[in-house]
Amino acid sequence: MSLLSDVLVILLNGLQQGAIYVLLAVGLSIILGTLKFVNFAHGALYLVGTYAGLFVALNVPLSNGKLAEWGFSSFGLDIGFLAALLFVPLFVFGVGLLMERYLARAFYDRPDTDQILVTFGLAIVVQELFRVLFGSNSLPFEQPERILSVGSFAGIPVSGPIALPIVGNFPQWRLWVIGITAVLVALVYLLVEYTDFGLVVRAGTRDAEMVRLLGIKITRPYIVVFGIGAALAGVAGVVGGPLNVVNPTIGTNILVPAFLTVVIGGVGSIAGAVLGGIVFGLTTAALVSFAPAWSQVGLYAIAAIVLLTRPQGLLGDEEVTP
Amino acid sequence: MSEKDANPSAKDALVGGTLFGRWEKLRGREGTVVGITAILVAVFPYLFARAPVVSGFLQGYQSLATLILIWGIFAIGFDLLLGYTGLLSFGHAAFWGGAAYAAGIVAKNVSGDPIVMVVSGTLFAVLLAWVLGFLSLRRGGIYFSILTLAFAQMFYYMAASPLAFLTNGENGLTGVEVGSFLGVIHLEADVPSIGGMLLGTWLYAFVGVFFVGAVAVAYRILNSPYGMVFRAIRENEQRAEFVGLNVWRYKLMAFIISGGFAGVAGSLFTIHGAYVPLQSLFWTESGDIVVMTVLGGAGSMFGPVLGVGLYLYIENIVSTIQALTIPFTGIVLVRDFGFYWHLLLGVVFVAVVWVVPDGLWGILNRLRELAVDLGSKAAKRLRARSENGGGGQ
Amino acid sequence: MARDNKSLNRRDVLKATGAVGTAGLAGLAGCTGGGDGSNGGDGSGGGGGGGGDDEYPALGNFPIEGDTATFGFNVPQSGPYASEGEDELRAYQLAVKHLNEGGGWVDSQFDDLSGDGVLGYTIDHVDGDTATDADQARQSASGMIQRDDAIMISGGSSSAVAIAVQGLCQNEKVMFMCCLTHSNDTTGKDCVRYSFREMFNAYMTGQALAPVVRDAYGEGLQFYQLYADYSWGQTQQASMEQFMTDVAGGEQIESVATPLGTSDYSTYLSEAQSSGADVLILNHYGLDGANSMQQAIDAGIDEDMEIIVPLYNRPMAEAAGGAIEGIYGTVAWDSQIDNTPSQEFTQAFRDEYDRTPSGPAQLAYAQTLQYAAAVERAGTFYPPEVIKQLEDYEYDNIGMGSETMRGCDHQAQRDVPVVQGLPASEQSEGTYFNIVNITSRDDLGYACDAGPAAECELGSYE
Repeated sequence: MSLLSDVLVILLNGLQQGAIYVLLAVGLSIILGTLKFVNFAHGALYLVGTYAGLFVALNVPLSNGKLAEWGFSSFGLDIGFLAALLFVPLFVFGVGLLMERYLARAFYDRPDTDQILVTFGLAIVVQELFRVLFGSNSLPFEQPERILSVGSFAGIPVSGPIALPIVGNFPQWRLWVIGITAVLVALVYLLVEYTDFGLVVRAGTRDAEMVRLLGIKITRPYIVVFGIGAALAGVAGVVGGPLNVVNPTIGTNILVPAFLTVVIGGVGSIAGAVLGGIVFGLTTAALVSFAPAWSQVGLYAIAAIVLLTRPQGLLGDEEVTP
Repeated sequence: MSEKDANPSAKDALVGGTLFGRWEKLRGREGTVVGITAILVAVFPYLFARAPVVSGFLQGYQSLATLILIWGIFAIGFDLLLGYTGLLSFGHAAFWGGAAYAAGIVAKNVSGDPIVMVVSGTLFAVLLAWVLGFLSLRRGGIYFSILTLAFAQMFYYMAASPLAFLTNGENGLTGVEVGSFLGVIHLEADVPSIGGMLLGTWLYAFVGVFFVGAVAVAYRILNSPYGMVFRAIRENEQRAEFVGLNVWRYKLMAFIISGGFAGVAGSLFTIHGAYVPLQSLFWTESGDIVVMTVLGGAGSMFGPVLGVGLYLYIENIVSTIQALTIPFTGIVLVRDFGFYWHLLLGVVFVAVVWVVPDGLWGILNRLRELAVDLGSKAAKRLRARSENGGGGQ
Repeated sequence: MARDNKSLNRRDVLKATGAVGTAGLAGLAGCTGGGDGSNGGDGSGGGGGGGGDDEYPALGNFPIEGDTATFGFNVPQSGPYASEGEDELRAYQLAVKHLNEGGGWVDSQFDDLSGDGVLGYTIDHVDGDTATDADQARQSASGMIQRDDAIMISGGSSSAVAIAVQGLCQNEKVMFMCCLTHSNDTTGKDCVRYSFREMFNAYMTGQALAPVVRDAYGEGLQFYQLYADYSWGQTQQASMEQFMTDVAGGEQIESVATPLGTSDYSTYLSEAQSSGADVLILNHYGLDGANSMQQAIDAGIDEDMEIIVPLYNRPMAEAAGGAIEGIYGTVAWDSQIDNTPSQEFTQAFRDEYDRTPSGPAQLAYAQTLQYAAAVERAGTFYPPEVIKQLEDYEYDNIGMGSETMRGCDHQAQRDVPVVQGLPASEQSEGTYFNIVNITSRDDLGYACDAGPAAECELGSYE
């Protein structure tokens, strides 16, 4: 094993572990930066995305929970993974709009503490709702073998190992996760940086009151920002779900690292969220190689160190404080 | 508390509205609060676990009564921070679990004396709170919540493996031998005679003393200038700063005090169970204390304790029943309640945060005020009517 | 260290039976009379139903008041192992039904049991939720002991839970019959007098697997281990190392700890892959195991390495789906085991619930009957006497060959089933494995002063 391949393996693993965090963190970050809304239920959106993805892409047997008791022996449309990748973000986007309209809006003027509490409560409600419906046992979310197999075309293989130069075998699916994340994050970045919509959003991040004074109706961009953030969490659920077993606790489990990613990177900064995710992924991967017993501790230690030395986050703007 | 403190009304009349009088009145009220608390603590386990009809209805048991008081101490301390100072910590498991481990490790290696355990556990929690508070309070708002969460999780993962030689890792700290109190009283034994009927075990009595003490200390703090500053910070941090208060120092103090309460509770938890579960450091434990406090009513003295009682009662007793019925009737509210209780709890929690931020205690208070209001109105009307009636005749 | 305090008991008894049973039914005849007892505690008004109860002092929840004996079944009903807990609970309820009404093993395998209650007491039960959380499990057990006066607690599903609850039971002097707990510590470092384990442990899994792996993949293999960094994982990897080296003549390349809470094993797996070893041993349990196995397959590790998971359970197999195909491991018990007791239990369970019982269900059922039979033999529910009946008891009636419940560490010495995972297409409800071998107990185990047992000190009877 050469040093080069070691480094490459750590890099690739770091990127793919960070990718899911990045998707979640970008959503959290733009919501927090623009709307000044702390969403502890963001993990719940990931949970919704994962189960929705499972529902659209596959058909899994249910053995536990109320749905099984009510006579649904299996769950799912079984219309393929691409369909899930298309429909789920739209669905979760809708969920996000509803959440903004009926929950977040009532809390914009209330203290941070109340926002945290109410979304924390909502996260519990969603998790428990899924537990009641689907049972608390884990469901297998199998990676699709191929996509786009139409007629005689065998399709593009997306799962299983792929032999990479220098690195050796690597799970192909994880490369796709990195790719999909990169594309989506780039799209959001372009949207925010180079469109009129983005201009309003960015201005709102800096000074919402001033934007309002200038006569720009800020409500609509706000609700869309919330929707986009939610949709990204939904995508994360669809592509990240098949990496692990699926059960109702995955949402709360991923929330904490996702939040830490945001604060490390800097609130309101898309580039920051990406950097935060990569820092997280790389540190974990490196610690696993050199000091595995500390790999979980390391995550939190890094977050603490960054926050203490650079409170606004790595790429955060000092003027933007939620 | 002496008797004259508990009976302030006569003195009030004498000293009137002077400063001294107000102080006296305050001390008097403190005496009343502590006295009533002590009485409630004394009869609680009897009603809960032994009284003929009532306990049969409540389905309580001794160990749960003790546990409710322990968590009650934790919640009172947590509320000093959340309810009175306005800081939401998601990392109090570090103090609770840290103290529990410290007390357990001291018991295993140094001395199993319950007092030594409580003192060492609390000391550890206070020191830890000082360090973590010093670091976390550099950022406000959500950063504070997330930093406390991150630090606490760090301790959880450290206890899980790198420090497993001390903590026994995921199996939890087993083999903790709690010694006898003052060398003579076995905490597990029953209190003799009438005391036994009321309190049950010495352990309960031991915890009960700490609980009453916690109420007294919290009451004293809240009604001292310190407490005023805490509230001022919650209401408007900037204004408090402008007045010339060192807000940061007061916040740190509130954090340390609340860590100390968590430390007392955590140490008692080890004495109660002779065991420390690794989960005592996990963030869900921090989440639980948040839920209990808010549900019961943050910003009130006894609200959080009410929340603790309700939460633990539902978790340990109501969750085991199959159908939740309206008492004394056959009307089934929720079938399969054990399966749904967590979901229902979440819904209630959201509703409380949304609609009644002062929690169940607030609701009770408003009901009481409403009753008093209605009562006085009714009395007035009655009086008016009788006067009218008198005039007519 | 076990001091024999039988004679002491009798003396204490005479002192302590101050309160003569009033609720006793048949047992009054055997009453040895009063005395000036002060030792009896507050609950000694009970009196005995089945004879002889008033020979013994009050201890824990003994004597039983009334004519119903309550068992407490403490299983995960929420959390990731809830489905396993539900299956255990079904088996417990079946055991209670058979104890009271006859049927199943009560009729065919356990001669000590009558099918008409135990010692004339009707058996009742309460259940609680451990949520696979040690703290919650202790709370739940406390409630059963203090409020419901349970005379015996059974349950488990995780070693941390079993260890926490058995410690509580030792303090409260209430017997605990372990269900699923696989850590060496349960009957090693953290063993207690009041608890008995039917399930084999991590050490025995290593002993059972190594020869099978050697026969399947050849001798002298290089192996690489990942293990969950808590006591179960540590002991499991130690035993795999020992027996893969000693028995299979292998050589360990490296053994890496994965911290608690890890769900993404890809970096660990990359390292394993590049090590060039022949065998990868994943010492992860339950959902962690499902994750690490699935991720190993995704990374193509099975193409050039053989994978082994020491301990399977059903939630793990369900969550991992087809990833378990061909992977060796051990299970507590499986319905496909071909002998009379196993078939009878499977049939009884199917008749009652229309499903196939899981391994832990068999443990739950067996442990409940085992306890009841010991009570019958002892002629009393007095825990020290029941414990003495179970210690060094030999039996051959629960479908795992002839067994001994060893007195020195309360660990059953028994056979261990070795299985291979089935491909997704051949899996069905309740069938996930193919039985490869039932490793005989003659090839397993360790002396009372060796292995995990060397660290065990059981504590007192009273």
